[in-house]
Amino acid sequence: MFQANQPPQWADRLLEWCCAPHLLEDVQGDLHEVYQKRLAEAGPAKARRDYVVAVLHHLTPFFIRRKKTVLRPGEYPSPSPLNPDMLRNYITIALRTLAHNKAYSVINIVGLSIGLAAAMLIILYTKDEVSYDRFHANAPRLYRITSRELSPAGKVENRQGNTGLLQGPTFAAGVPEIQSFVRYKEDRHDMKQGTDVVSQSVFVADTSFFSVFTFPLLSGDPKTALQQPRSVVISEDMAAKQFGTTDALGKTIFFKRSFDNGDTFEPYTVTGVVRQMPQNSSIRFDVLMPMVVTPQEMTNSENWFNIFENTFVLLTPKADIQAVEAKMNRIYRADAAASIKMMAEKFGFKNKVEYALQPFTAMHLSQDLRADNGLVGGSNPLFSYILTGIALFILLIACINFVNLTVARSLKRAKEIGVRKVVGSGRAQLMFQFLGESFLLCFGAFVLALILVQLVLPTFNQLANKSLALAYLLDGRLVLGYIGLFLLTGFLAGFYPALVLSRYSPVQTLYKRISLSGKNYLQQSLVVLQFALASFLVIATLTIYSQFNYLTNKDLGYDDKDLVSIDKSGLTRSEAKLLHDELLKNPNIVGVAPKNGGQWGTVAKINEGKEINFTYETIDPAYLPLLKIPVRQGRNFSADFPADSTHSVLVNERFVKEAGWKDPIGQPVDFWYNKGEVYTVVGVVKDHHFNGLSQEIGPQLFTTKPGNQFGKAFIKIRPNTASASLQYIERTFKRLFPINPYAFSFVDEDNLKRYESEAKWKQIMLFGAILTIFISCIGLFGLATLSAERRTKEIGIRKVLGASVTSIIQLLSSDFLKLVLLSFVVAFPAAWYAMRQWLQNYPYRIDISAWTFVIAALLALLIAFVTVSFQSIRTALTNPVRSLRSE
Amino acid sequence: MRRAFLGEFEEIILLVVAACTTEAYGVNVWEDVQQQTGRAITMSAVHTTLYRLEEKGYLSSVLGGATAERGGRRKRFFTLTGLGVRALQDIQAVRARLWQAIPQDKFQLIVG
Repeated sequence: MFQANQPPQWADRLLEWCCAPHLLEDVQGDLHEVYQKRLAEAGPAKARRDYVVAVLHHLTPFFIRRKKTVLRPGEYPSPSPLNPDMLRNYITIALRTLAHNKAYSVINIVGLSIGLAAAMLIILYTKDEVSYDRFHANAPRLYRITSRELSPAGKVENRQGNTGLLQGPTFAAGVPEIQSFVRYKEDRHDMKQGTDVVSQSVFVADTSFFSVFTFPLLSGDPKTALQQPRSVVISEDMAAKQFGTTDALGKTIFFKRSFDNGDTFEPYTVTGVVRQMPQNSSIRFDVLMPMVVTPQEMTNSENWFNIFENTFVLLTPKADIQAVEAKMNRIYRADAAASIKMMAEKFGFKNKVEYALQPFTAMHLSQDLRADNGLVGGSNPLFSYILTGIALFILLIACINFVNLTVARSLKRAKEIGVRKVVGSGRAQLMFQFLGESFLLCFGAFVLALILVQLVLPTFNQLANKSLALAYLLDGRLVLGYIGLFLLTGFLAGFYPALVLSRYSPVQTLYKRISLSGKNYLQQSLVVLQFALASFLVIATLTIYSQFNYLTNKDLGYDDKDLVSIDKSGLTRSEAKLLHDELLKNPNIVGVAPKNGGQWGTVAKINEGKEINFTYETIDPAYLPLLKIPVRQGRNFSADFPADSTHSVLVNERFVKEAGWKDPIGQPVDFWYNKGEVYTVVGVVKDHHFNGLSQEIGPQLFTTKPGNQFGKAFIKIRPNTASASLQYIERTFKRLFPINPYAFSFVDEDNLKRYESEAKWKQIMLFGAILTIFISCIGLFGLATLSAERRTKEIGIRKVLGASVTSIIQLLSSDFLKLVLLSFVVAFPAAWYAMRQWLQNYPYRIDISAWTFVIAALLALLIAFVTVSFQSIRTALTNPVRSLRSE
Repeated sequence: MRRAFLGEFEEIILLVVAACTTEAYGVNVWEDVQQQTGRAITMSAVHTTLYRLEEKGYLSSVLGGATAERGGRRKRFFTLTGLGVRALQDIQAVRARLWQAIPQDKFQLIVG
C-alpha cells in the first residue's frame, strides 16, 4: 500500500533496524516532522526522496552503535557474557577461587600437567617410531626384497628379510616395474685414524644408493659419489673425526679389508660428505663404499642361495605389488633352475623359495622380517603399545582427577551460581563462565606440561634410546591433536558445573542443600578405576623386576667372571699358541682359550640319515675347563688323543636329547656334504646358556677341526687384577698383531647387555607406575579433603557426642579404603593375565608369585591410607566448637 | 578549570540552542542553523552534534511534546547546562580579548 502522507516504509524500516534504540524515537520523530513539512512545501515525490536521503545520512556508526554510555534514569544496561566488565569479574572470581583453595588448585593443575606431559612424551616416542624411514622422498615406492621358504607340504618354514648378490640385479633387469635396486651390507674394515688402527663398521652399497634414498650430501655429487671403486662417502661426524672439518672432499682415508690377512692398507678418496642422518632412519652409516662384485660371482648361479645382505628396490609409481612379486618369482624359477636342482641334490634342500616385497617403511617395526644385517633401530611395536597404554592411563587418571575435583569443588560454588542467577545471570553466561574457567586452568596445565616435557626429555631420551626434541611436536596433525585434547579435557572438566549446576533453579541451590547422591557413584567408580590402574602397573613392575633379576642372576652354566674376550679375525693355530704362551708369562693371567668368532650354525646327519641343526663351536681343549663347563659323560678333547681334531666331537645334553641317543658316546655324526667327514662323539657337555636366557638352549656341537679358523680368545684373569691384566693383554696383543685392531670386553658385562631392552623397560615401567601412583594419590587426597570438609558438621556433632579421634579417622578412611580394595578385584585378574602373556615370551621365566599381588595390595592400601589419613587426622583433631559455630 | 573545547560547528549549534526562543529540538535547531549560516546542512549532522554535546555535558535533554505529524513520537528537547553556558562565555571572553588586542588601525591598513 502506498500512503502519500507517510514516508516510504522501507526507509523507515531500515532506520528502525539500524538506528540504536535509545536514539530512534526522537530521530525518527524529527525525520517524520520534516517529511510532513516537505510534503506540504514540495509534494510527495520530493519529500520522499529527501526522507530517504536523510535516513541514509543517519546510517553512520554513530547512530548504528548500540550504546549504554548515555544511560538515562530508568534505563539499565543489558550485559552480554562477553562484556569486558563481566569478563573481568569472571577472571577475578576464578583467581579468587584458585587462591582460596590452594591445595585443589595445585593438585588440579599439576596433576593434569603431569598427565599431559606423559602423553606428550609418548606421542613423541610413537611418532618417532611410526615415522621411521618415512623421510625418503621415494618412501612410498621403496621396498625390500624378502623371501619365504615353503616346505614341500606348503607350510611356511622360514621368512628371510635378506637376499644375496643376484636377486637385485636379476629382478631389476627382468621386471619393468622395478626402476632401480640397491644392495646394502655391512662390513668391518680396519681404518687408519692418525697413528691408530681402528676396526670400523663400513657399509657398501650400489651406485644408485643416493638416487634411491634421500640422504643429502654436504659436498660431492650424489650421482657419481659411488662410481669409482676406491671412493668413499663419509658422515659429517666421521669427517670431523678424521680430518677435524666437514670439508673433506677429495681427501684420503686408508682402509684394509679385515678378512684377507695378507692385504695392506689402501687409500680411498672421499667423494662425498653426507649430512647428519635423521634419527629415525634404519640406514645409518659413517662410512659408505661402492659395492664391487666380480663378474664370476654374478654368473655363479649358486649365489641365489647365498644370503647375507639387504636389497632394496624402487618401483615405478602405481606398480602393482602382486604382479611384481609374481614376475619376480617367474624370473627366479627360470634363472635359478640349475641352482635349485643342485641344492636339492647336494644338501637335500627340498623347500620352495618364494620372493616377496616388504614396504621399506614397514621394516622398522616388523617382527618376522626385521630390520637387521646393517639396518639399525629395529624395534618391537609392542613397546609403542605398552608406552601408549601407560600414557593413556596416566592421562586418563589425570583427567579423571581434574574432572572429579572440579566437580566436587563446584558443589561448593552452587551458592555462587544461585546468587548469580538471582541477580540476573543467564544460563549462557554461567556456562561461559565455568567452561571458560576450566579452559583457563587447562591452558595453564598445558603450559606447565610443555615446560615439564622440556625438562624431562633428556632423561626420557636416555631411557628410550632416542634423541627426541620438543620441536618434533610442531607438526600440523599433532598440534591439531593437542588442541583436540585441550578442548576435550577442558570441556569434560567444566561440563558439570557449566551444564548441570547451571540448570538448577536458584531457590534450590540457595535454600536447600543440594544432595547429589547419583554423582557419588561416579566419583567412587573413578577412584576404583584409578587404583585399579595403579595396582596393575605396580604388579607389572614387580613382575618385570623379578623376571629381570632372574635373567641377570640365573646361573648360566658357565663361569663368566673375570673373563675377558678379545677379537682377532683369522687367528691361526700357531698364532693362538703364541698368544697363549705370551699371555701366560704374566702371573695375573690364569688361562687362554681361543674360539671361533661369531656364532656358526650348520647341519649334519645322525642315526643314519636324520638331519639335525646345531650350533657349531670350534674350540681347543682348554676351552671347557676355562669356562668351567662340566663334561657329563665321556671326556674332553685332549692332547693325549691326537686323532681328536679329525675324528672326535663333543655335544651338549640337548643335542643328545634331540638325537634320541641312549648311549651317546661313540655315536657317529656325518657332515655328509664334505666328503669323508664323519666324527665320533667322545663326550657330552652339560647344557649351558651360550646364547643368553631369552633363547632356549639348542643343540651344540664342539670340534677342534684344524680347518676351522678361530676368531677370538677368552682370557681368564685373576680376580681384582683387571687394570693390570688388561694393560698387559693390550701390550702383548699389539706386539704380536700390530695391524689388527684391539678391542676387549668382559664376558659378564656382555651378558648383561643382552638384557638392555629389559632393563630399559624395567625403568620405564617403574617410571610409569610411580607417576600413576602419584597422580592417583593427589586425586585421592583432593577427594578426601573435600569429603572431610563436607562432613565437618557431622564430625563436630559426633565429637560433641563423644566420638574418639580414632573412630573418626576410621570413619573417614574406611570409605576410601573400601574403594581401593574393590579396585583390586578389577586389577588382579587383568594383571595376572597380562603378565602371564608377557612371560610367555621367555623360555626361561619366573612363576607369577602370589606375593607380588600381596605386596601390590599392601602398597596400594598403605599409600591410600597415608594419603587419606593426612586429611582425616586433621579433621578429627579440630575443635568441634569451630566447626559448629557458624551456620 | 578545564578549558572548553568546542569545534566551530558545535559552537554554532550550541549558540543556536541558546538563542532558541522556543524549546530546542532536532528540527528547529536544524532549520535555525541553516537560516543563520546560510549553509546546507544534513539533519544527521545536527543530530550527531547535539548528542555529542550532550555527552560532553554542554547540553541536557528531556523527552516530550509528541505531535501527530511525528507519528506520536516524542521530541528530545535540549537545554544548555551550566557547563555549556560557561563554555560559551569562555569562548566569548577569549574572542573579546583577541579583538581588543588587534591594533586599531590594522584592519584599515589592510583593507586600504
